[in-house]
Amino acid sequence: MSRPMISHRIRTLILFAVTAWGLTVVGTSGCSSGSTPAPCPPHIEAAVRAALPTNTNMACRLHKTETKKVEGKVYAPQLDVVKADVVLADGRLATLDLSADGKVLEMVYAHDDLYGSSGKIMALVFWVFALAAVAGALFVISRKNLIAAVMGMVGSFLGIAAIYMMLYAQFLAVVQMLVYAGAIMVLFVFVVMILNRPEDEPVAPAGRAGQALGGLAIIYLVGRLIWMLKEVQPPDVARALAAPLPTAEGHDWGSVKAVGTDLFNGGLFPFEAISILLLVAVVGAIAIARPLHVEDDAPAKARSEGGVA
Amino acid sequence: MSNLVWNIGYGHFLVLAAVLFLIGVVGVLVRRNALIILMSVELMLNAANVTLLAFSRMWGDLSAHTFALIVIAVAAAEASVGLAIVVAVFRGRRNVEVDRLTTLRH
Repeated sequence: MSRPMISHRIRTLILFAVTAWGLTVVGTSGCSSGSTPAPCPPHIEAAVRAALPTNTNMACRLHKTETKKVEGKVYAPQLDVVKADVVLADGRLATLDLSADGKVLEMVYAHDDLYGSSGKIMALVFWVFALAAVAGALFVISRKNLIAAVMGMVGSFLGIAAIYMMLYAQFLAVVQMLVYAGAIMVLFVFVVMILNRPEDEPVAPAGRAGQALGGLAIIYLVGRLIWMLKEVQPPDVARALAAPLPTAEGHDWGSVKAVGTDLFNGGLFPFEAISILLLVAVVGAIAIARPLHVEDDAPAKARSEGGVA
Repeated sequence: MSNLVWNIGYGHFLVLAAVLFLIGVVGVLVRRNALIILMSVELMLNAANVTLLAFSRMWGDLSAHTFALIVIAVAAAEASVGLAIVVAVFRGRRNVEVDRLTTLRH
């Protein structure tokens, strides 16, 4: 029984290793060569080029080209925005959003964008956290000890949260840490402890050395917390009011404000539906996990016996 | 090659998401412990989120952030119900190995 099972598992593993390798090859070749932008229609390119400083390396990217259908009538491809990568007079790179007649609608300095900020340090940060995410994930599927698997999962979530941060999703990165590492993983640890299998004992250095290590870790954590709280400045209302208002240039992509505006405009119905889903999940989880036989339920038994007596 | 290592583009994020998703799929297929399977499902949902956010950044469309937020909420609901099922199964049978839960097999 167990022999064919093992060979089946190994075959599945080999299959997925080959698939992963193929995906990686295709993906990396795609990201190095597949970024050539589509050319603009010539009359638009001429208009846009007239509005820009000469000798700019313009890469025209049509932002919106799909046909629109309004009340049964199909409209021709609507050209809203042309994106152009230009070198400015002071040598900085910027991405311009231009209307079809060459008016500059928005300018984003390349330094603010993903490509511009991908210097060597950013690349290093990406590789470190990508490695953390993948190593944690491999830890999850390879450990026999469930506590070790859960800890690997926490490491993986940390890496993924940092990857979210690199994609300018600050709010979601924080939500990821709070909800996944903070809530869901604690729930997993609770269930592992309920299962109480002998092989799931947390691995820790035993004896005096382990105690010393744990004590040092606790002292470090408490000290760090105190230091952090001492660093917090009380709010200075006068200075905050005097500070300049944020300009359009410093865009707030992925901030709480931007995500909230989007969530409560377009995503209001899913948001309300999620609240019902969470309520159903809470009720369902309690209904499923509760003991089936009331005799097993010690408090209820005690209560009923107390009532009889 | 050095261009591939030092110039991080959207493709890198997408390949990372694909690798994470594959690890999750392998975990679901290979492991027998129900808890590990649940964790692998969470991993796959996270990989999908990374893809969503990468494309969101690529197209300059914030609505994917809303979508990712909803995915996180659904994942939380899924984890709570899944863990409740694991606890209920463990209470009845004293193990959570999915290969041994064959009562519904015809």
